[in-house]
Amino acid sequence: MAPIPGSGLAKGLAVTLRTMTRKTVTEQYPDAQPDLPPRTRGVIGLFEENCTVCMLCARECPDWCIYIDSHKETVPAATPGGRERSRNVLDRFAIDFSLCMYCGICIEVCPFDALFWSPEFEYAETDIRELTHERDKLREWMWTVPAPPALDPGAEEPKEIAAARKTAEKLAAQQAPPVTEPLADEQARAAEGPTRAQGDSQQQTDQPRPSSSPTSGLAGPPSDRSAADDRPQPDPSAPAQPGTSPRPKQEGQE
Amino acid sequence: MTYALATAVTAHPGPSGVPLAAAAHGFLSPTGVEIAFLLVGLLTFGAALVTVTTRQLVHAALWLVVALGGLAVEYLLLTAEFIAWVQVLIYVGSVVVLLLFGLMLTRAPIGRSPDADSGNRWAALAVAVAAAAALVWVVVDAFRTTWIDLDGPAAGSTEVTGASLFQHWVLPFEALSVLLLAALVGAIVLSRKARAEKSSPPVNSRASAGGSPVVPESRNHPSGGHRPTEQEGAR
Amino acid sequence: MNDALDVALRLLIVFVVFLTFPLIVGQTEHKVMAHMQGRLGPMYAGGFHGWAQLIADGVKFAQKEDVVPAGADRRIFQLAPAVALLPYLLVLLAIPIGPGEGAVGQVLDAGVFFVLAVMGVGVLGSLMAGWASANKFSLLGGLRTAAQLLSYELPMLLAAASVAMAAGTVSLPGIVDAFEWWWLPWQITGALVFFIAGLAELQRPPFDMPVADSEIIFGAYTEYTGLRFALFLLAEYAGIVVLCGLTTVLFLGGWHGPWGADGLGWVWTLLKTAILAFVVIWLRVTYPRLREDQLQKFSWTLLVPLSLAQIALTGIVKVVIS
Repeated sequence: MAPIPGSGLAKGLAVTLRTMTRKTVTEQYPDAQPDLPPRTRGVIGLFEENCTVCMLCARECPDWCIYIDSHKETVPAATPGGRERSRNVLDRFAIDFSLCMYCGICIEVCPFDALFWSPEFEYAETDIRELTHERDKLREWMWTVPAPPALDPGAEEPKEIAAARKTAEKLAAQQAPPVTEPLADEQARAAEGPTRAQGDSQQQTDQPRPSSSPTSGLAGPPSDRSAADDRPQPDPSAPAQPGTSPRPKQEGQE
Repeated sequence: MTYALATAVTAHPGPSGVPLAAAAHGFLSPTGVEIAFLLVGLLTFGAALVTVTTRQLVHAALWLVVALGGLAVEYLLLTAEFIAWVQVLIYVGSVVVLLLFGLMLTRAPIGRSPDADSGNRWAALAVAVAAAAALVWVVVDAFRTTWIDLDGPAAGSTEVTGASLFQHWVLPFEALSVLLLAALVGAIVLSRKARAEKSSPPVNSRASAGGSPVVPESRNHPSGGHRPTEQEGAR
Repeated sequence: MNDALDVALRLLIVFVVFLTFPLIVGQTEHKVMAHMQGRLGPMYAGGFHGWAQLIADGVKFAQKEDVVPAGADRRIFQLAPAVALLPYLLVLLAIPIGPGEGAVGQVLDAGVFFVLAVMGVGVLGSLMAGWASANKFSLLGGLRTAAQLLSYELPMLLAAASVAMAAGTVSLPGIVDAFEWWWLPWQITGALVFFIAGLAELQRPPFDMPVADSEIIFGAYTEYTGLRFALFLLAEYAGIVVLCGLTTVLFLGGWHGPWGADGLGWVWTLLKTAILAFVVIWLRVTYPRLREDQLQKFSWTLLVPLSLAQIALTGIVKVVIS
């Protein structure tokens, strides 16, 4: 069946006219902030409590845009008669974003999760030298790092969480049931507010769990992570490190 | 040159018999028209002179535009509005554009062309003067006692022109039309014949160029022209 | 003295129209084109939806340096924008927007011829610009302009002649006066041919081969900067206004409308012109550029025969009804 001559022309006119009556897709950027996906590579943030000055990032960087200075400090013995320990103290951590090509190798390679992608992108300067940002600025960007998106329903459990669950189960088997309750409570308190819903939905979509304590143990770590974002105080002691640890695993899975 | 002489002849004895220096009659009075006519005539004459003397080809064409446009203004001043616009349409709008097109297509350097001058220029001048003199003499002789009345109804309006063209002059008009038509047909025949002699390879190559990349071989093939069509049919 | 005042006033009004209407068309093009492509177009200049974008553009153009290439033919190069722009100003003088002598800049006896003749002169500006730029791309653009003008002038003229035959006059107000509603179906072929050929003469997409940016940069206007470049652009948009106005007057009945013929006729003229201008923009957004040979073929094998057929039809109907 041959089309009527000129019908293609009319169709073209119809397409443009229809597009005109529809809503445009333009984002009015300076007036409205763009809606960026969670893993946007905007800028690199530094969580310096996690940094051990191992220099892996600086060595792996293809552009040589990471500058790290440090010195060694001696920590007096913790117990009388004990041995003095030495540790590296970070003096300077700077990234030259005029050289950086946003490959993300430093973030991949960091063994202690001290570097993160932040979606922040408005850091243009009028002088190229001002694009070298020092640790305080990198630290400010750290607090703009969003929580990692939830796992897909039915996704494999992150290794860290699996390990934590196994220990929790072992503990539960060893000890009497009343002992597990306060532990679960503690983790639920850390979760708090909006992250609760996330944990709930995960509970629904996941396969049914045998008992209450492993489930809360599963929902805990991701919410710990976001709790660390809400609370910018450096807290080198405990929850931040386990909280951040699931991240590279999830990236590997997706 | 023709223009200037014609100008002089037509302009000096004013239609209303008033000397040029007479007091003004108001906005665009007959005297005003005469002055304008004279000035435009001089301008046209100058442009025509530059057209034939300049060494820059494209400048010559553009000065020709000025000359032809000036002529159109002269028609306008003589109330022949229709003729004036036709002059602009045909000569300025088409003929000169065609001329410029031809110039640019072949050779139009910026600056002087050394070969734009001719050794025959004196002979050409003589011919031009003779032609101008003949024309002026004929025109003056024919219209010796006829004056255009600028105050009355326009003698050169479209209606008047059309009426006289298709009532009194219909035979010459039709004869000219036939002549032009014959010229047109002749031009087409000439251009088509020249192409037909060497047309077969280009036609083949064009037909097969759309068909397949096997063109270079099939061009010399006797059956080369058929293969692409078969392929098209197969699709 | 009153006459002089009248003439001055008319000239002033036409001049103001000449300066504002093209800007309105240009701004409409910005916005319509943007929305047809799913964008918003200018949003900042002037505050409300970027209404002052073209004024801002004008200021920018005026500030720019006026460069004349070293190898260019200086005088012709500088004269070309004026030659391209002035004809449209003259044509605007002759287009009537309402009935009576008050609604037209100057009543001309041979209006159709005047309008077409002067519009043809405008192309000389492009030719001069293309040649004088001392740039091969410009020269090619000029050549394409000339070729396009030569092939599209004929169907345009023939289509206009058809209407003149139907009306029995070549005066623009006379043609609109004689208009009847059934001319619309009668002259529809002529109208289409006229409009398309006019688009080609203005070098509007899809007939913008002479300024095809992917091949010859910007054709004849490649070397122009600043105000002279702006004048060429203004000529293009003034050309749209003139073409749409002419099509309205010749084929769409000008100030005739279903109602409100008394006093509000000029609204009809402006409305029809605006709709046609929208169509010009619409076509630009929708269709890709024709190739040079397609362009020529389209004119000679389609538009010219169609316009001749229209003339024949007009003649037959005219003889039958009289």
